[in-house]
Amino acid sequence: MDFFYSYIALAEIYVLLGLSTNLLVGIVGIFSVSQAAIFGVGAYVVAYLLMNTAVPFLPALLAAAALCVALNILVTLPSLRVSGDYFVVTSFGIQLLATAIFTNWTAGTGGAAGLPGVPAPLIFGQELIEPGAFLGLATAGMALGCLGFWLIMRAPFGRLLRAIREDELAVAALGKSVLRAKVSAAALAGAFAGTAGGLYATFLSFIDPSSFDLDASILLLAMVVVGGARTLAGSIIGPFVLLALPQALALIDLPTSVAAAARQLIYGVLLIVFMLFRPQGLLGEKL
Amino acid sequence: MSAYLRVVGVSKSFGGLRALNDCSFTTTKGLITCLVGPNGAGKTTIFNAITGFLVPDEGHVAFQGTSLDGFSPQQVVATGIARSFQNLRLFTDLTARDNVLVAMPGQAGETPLGAIFRPLHAARATAQRRAAAREVLAHVGLADGADTMVRNLSYGEQKLLSIARLLATGAELLLLDEPTSGLSGAALDRVMEVLRGLQTDGKTLLVVEHNTRVVQQIADEVVFLHQGHVLAQGSPQEIITDPALAEIYFGGVI
Ligand SMILES: Nc1ncnc2c1ncn2[C@@H]1O[C@H](COP(=O)(O)OP(=O)(O)OP(=O)(O)O)[C@@H](O)[C@H]1O
Ligand SMILES: [Mg+2]
Repeated sequence: MDFFYSYIALAEIYVLLGLSTNLLVGIVGIFSVSQAAIFGVGAYVVAYLLMNTAVPFLPALLAAAALCVALNILVTLPSLRVSGDYFVVTSFGIQLLATAIFTNWTAGTGGAAGLPGVPAPLIFGQELIEPGAFLGLATAGMALGCLGFWLIMRAPFGRLLRAIREDELAVAALGKSVLRAKVSAAALAGAFAGTAGGLYATFLSFIDPSSFDLDASILLLAMVVVGGARTLAGSIIGPFVLLALPQALALIDLPTSVAAAARQLIYGVLLIVFMLFRPQGLLGEKL
Repeated sequence: MSAYLRVVGVSKSFGGLRALNDCSFTTTKGLITCLVGPNGAGKTTIFNAITGFLVPDEGHVAFQGTSLDGFSPQQVVATGIARSFQNLRLFTDLTARDNVLVAMPGQAGETPLGAIFRPLHAARATAQRRAAAREVLAHVGLADGADTMVRNLSYGEQKLLSIARLLATGAELLLLDEPTSGLSGAALDRVMEVLRGLQTDGKTLLVVEHNTRVVQQIADEVVFLHQGHVLAQGSPQEIITDPALAEIYFGGVI
């Protein structure tokens, strides 16, 4: 049962992170491949505060979210100058930079060895150590994120963001501030990613740079795309499917010498085939 | 009559090409002014310069006596000027209504905090705006297409929608870049009717127009632009019957 709870809790954390990515990439059209870096900052900040200071869990989570808001605005700003798909390169650079810092700043992040022993969240005197106990927190986090995303998408702000994705110049010609809208979206995405990071660190109690590298950013994009970009339902279902897939593949009986490689191969082929037949994702609009 | 919009000595070069060359003209409040001239005369470029999309090398633009020098597109719209695009630039993945709604100024719920923390307020405001959007769409004869995705609208309907979106900004001076191009027959008449209707509603229009029949039917005044310079400004009759201008206009094209 714990295993099942762990899977749900982890998927829920990734849903929160997926909402962040969906908002930037799917809705506004800022093609970021560095969302895992922001996620990582959230994770390290919470881990650091809990391990080295007396700051309680919720304020630590809030601090991480606030820092990620500022950071995500900063790394998204180049998208105002670097147009469209070219922003990928900028974002790639940001992700590499973040990975380098996570790996080499040993004093703060534990370097490549990572940070073991991040304390479990302590909420209202309850220590959420068991996956079942943590599940409530993860579910609450995901629910709040989904509610925020839903409210935004049905409000004028959501419409403005979608218009910006299609034609920034036309939006400016209507007297709207593209800068303000993009900064707002980046702030929101930063808050989601930072919160997800904090939950992730306290849930696993161990973090290292491999969870926050380029692969992680791409996996995140894959979750959003497979679920369905631009929709709330897509961001929810994507992480659940992509996190379950490796577990399902583990059930296939393979000779141990080739098992790992074969499973990766199958995973890759499945993704390719899926995209060929359902480019809009399970529950999404066309990207 | 005093000038409503005043363009004074505006010049702009792109590399070696002088797209605008000491361009000066005025428009009068409540009138339809047509901006004519051969391809590449600089008509779209002067629109860009007026609306803050382009900083002129020289010259000034003033609206109702206020200088627009150094204004961003957003600031220009705030003064009451809005422009359409020759290639429409509609939001094709949104519905016709949403295209109009995006253009409406000062909306509750247009920031994330407003959307998340005052959802009811935003929802009420949205309900009102939907009614307003419906009126704007009805104004150009698109009431039935409100829920249609823009990419599923006909070309004529898209042209009308781009006018509706412009109207939704609430601007008093509307700059329309070739609103009738590519249209003929009923669709063309429809757009002309809409433009005249806007004038009746008290709007002032500056319209880039290639079709001389349209110019004759809607224009109160005509500005003739050639190689970035205004050669003449006058009544449609004066401009169209001027043999020298006709030579430039038709001689240049053929
Ligand atoms: N951003 C730009 N960079 C370089 N050249 C430009 C730019 N914008 C316009 N031009 C050039 O300036 C000249 C005037 O262009 P403009 O688009 O204003 O003409 P126009 O009168 O609108 O023509 P048309 O009737 O074809 O729309 C053209 O030669 C055009 O190629
Ligand atoms: Mg033009």
